[in-house]
Amino acid sequence: MAVNVDIVYKTVLLILNKEQRGNLSPDEFNKVATQVQLEIFESYFDSLNQQIRRPDNDTEYADRVKNIDNNVSIFKEYGNATYVAGGSHFTLPTTSGASVATQTLTGNGTAISFPFTSISSSQLSNGVIAVTIGGVSTTAFTISGTNIIFSSIPANLAAIVVTATPRDFYKLGTVIYQDSKEVQLSRRNELLYLNLNPLIAPTTTYPVYLLEDNKLYLYPKTITSDITVSYLRKPADVTWNFTIPTGQNYYQYNPTNSANFELSPTEQSNIVLKILLYSGVIIRDPSIVNIAAQQVQQENQRSTI
Amino acid sequence: MPIPNGGLITETNEQYYAGAQRFISDGNGVITTTFNTDLILGSFDPNALNYTLNNFKLYTSKTGLPGKYEEYTLAYTVVNNVITFAVAPDAGDYIAVQLKILNGGSFGVEDASGTAIGTAVEENYGSYSYTPLTEVIDGFMAVYVGEHKLIADIKRTDVIFHAKRGLQEFSYDTLKSIKSQELTISPALSATIPQDYVNYVNISYIDSMGVKHPIYPANNLTIAPYEVPLQDDDGNPTMDNFGDNLEGSSQTLERWASANDSLLNGNITAEEYFAYSGWLTGNPFLGQKYGNDPQYAQKNGWFNMNERDGTIAFSSNLKDRLIVLEYISDGLAYDLDMRIPKMAEDALYAHMLYSILASRINQPEYVVQRLKKDRSAKLRNAKIRLSNIKLSEIVQVMRGKSKWIKS
Repeated sequence: MAVNVDIVYKTVLLILNKEQRGNLSPDEFNKVATQVQLEIFESYFDSLNQQIRRPDNDTEYADRVKNIDNNVSIFKEYGNATYVAGGSHFTLPTTSGASVATQTLTGNGTAISFPFTSISSSQLSNGVIAVTIGGVSTTAFTISGTNIIFSSIPANLAAIVVTATPRDFYKLGTVIYQDSKEVQLSRRNELLYLNLNPLIAPTTTYPVYLLEDNKLYLYPKTITSDITVSYLRKPADVTWNFTIPTGQNYYQYNPTNSANFELSPTEQSNIVLKILLYSGVIIRDPSIVNIAAQQVQQENQRSTI
Repeated sequence: MPIPNGGLITETNEQYYAGAQRFISDGNGVITTTFNTDLILGSFDPNALNYTLNNFKLYTSKTGLPGKYEEYTLAYTVVNNVITFAVAPDAGDYIAVQLKILNGGSFGVEDASGTAIGTAVEENYGSYSYTPLTEVIDGFMAVYVGEHKLIADIKRTDVIFHAKRGLQEFSYDTLKSIKSQELTISPALSATIPQDYVNYVNISYIDSMGVKHPIYPANNLTIAPYEVPLQDDDGNPTMDNFGDNLEGSSQTLERWASANDSLLNGNITAEEYFAYSGWLTGNPFLGQKYGNDPQYAQKNGWFNMNERDGTIAFSSNLKDRLIVLEYISDGLAYDLDMRIPKMAEDALYAHMLYSILASRINQPEYVVQRLKKDRSAKLRNAKIRLSNIKLSEIVQVMRGKSKWIKS
């Protein structure tokens, strides 16, 4: 369940009445679309904060808190925190594993450097790169620009698989010990008093943690494993990928390596409007929403004829 | 209903009564016990010192027949009640986990080393009438805290604090006193205050038939001085090289220890009467105990608290006597103590709710007052329930009213 990036792009172009004129290039669209997606995503938390203060209802589909939570739930993740013995702290997970970009290469027995064609430079710079050669993991490589350079020449016909997993940790939710106990957030000054009072001193039944510099400090300090966290990941970057047909001068949508909006499908019109706003068209008339919807419908009809 | 079926009871009959759980090995070498009691493993090796710390024994059998189980002494580990064998028993082997029990259980050979002798099972008996404090805290966080509730948000440590403080307060005047120690009064006429002691309830000496006789506090009869400074000829305290007062032994205690109790309670012999008739009031043989304070007119003996030594001091007539000290703790001394009788559980929730909201800013006073009344009413209910008043028992006691008292 996602919002199709092609439909959004074409709807925007239709409303702008600039299709084929190239005023909003795919690259511009991708940047604006990613920005809009983050903006809508970020707005959920303020909306949720407002809604939980108001009288609520428990209807199936009109519960606003539940609806917002549904929208956020797409980005909810759960992962392990890793203990760093030297620092006596846990590190938060950095990657959720969602929206992994993958490129498969084949060694030819002579080349030591290979260009990336399906992993973008932003994915390379913002991702955790993992490489296997013939199914065996390796770290003997460097990334230079949009090329991977191996320390030694991969064997002829060796299957090289490169994955770029985005660092998409966004917001910490709950810290959990042994899959059953919630760890309570505390502050450094508060912890001093907690430790001094035997009634409320942290125990393995009721542990507490400090969050400093994206590190978790668990108390009591005997806890050195079994920490998991729930968190929100960032929405993945939106990509409208294209090819230019031979002999033509227009962009043709290429679903391969395109990335849809991850937001709920109910956000489609909101996304279109915000992209239009960012595109320099100030939408102050709600009728433009209707125009966009009609254009989407017409586009759908055209594509199914 | 021998098998737990989703109710609050989670142990089978065998787990509860016999403290045993049996498995048939699947060859993977991992079994998970579901006792109310957490497994404690000091060592799997019977020759290791920590082996005695185990609160269970592990047995295996090829047939599962009675008398065919042998203790498993090869390597295994226990983490969160999951037993992982270093070498998995064969698939189809019978495995029995026996918590330590006073009769040793029915799996090992019947001697002290073969059977699982201990008290782990007995400590679980009757546990259904209690709710662990952790469940109260977790339940409170889940049900009383959240959006659109009286407490929208709170730190769990606050809840823990008020729950534990509540349990302490309830322990002092609401919950049943279940702590007691059987002691023999030493020649020093004192007994050390128990480790988890908060206050005494009763102290009695036990006679040869096992009947208890209450011992009473000495009150104004004597006192255990907190400080006994050594004085110089001018009456000033003397100090050591570090400037601290020198302390001596208490003569008050010495005199009290050698006192003739009979002269205090009037329970005197004829010889004593004539020996001390010069200052005794009245003639006890003629029923003339004029001037004898009724609170001291008992021959069971006295005790008083010696805060200086951390002991309970007894009168000299109790030397070598067997006594039972009933006392209260605060319910937090040991993990096993941290539980609330189900009959007082609601009162503890009410206490926590009131205590939390009463200490918060911007709370409507009518809400605080409502919760205060609620707490008070539920606490009163808890006291009545825990008083264990049964009509038939009252009737039995009241039957004594028709008994003729002969003069």
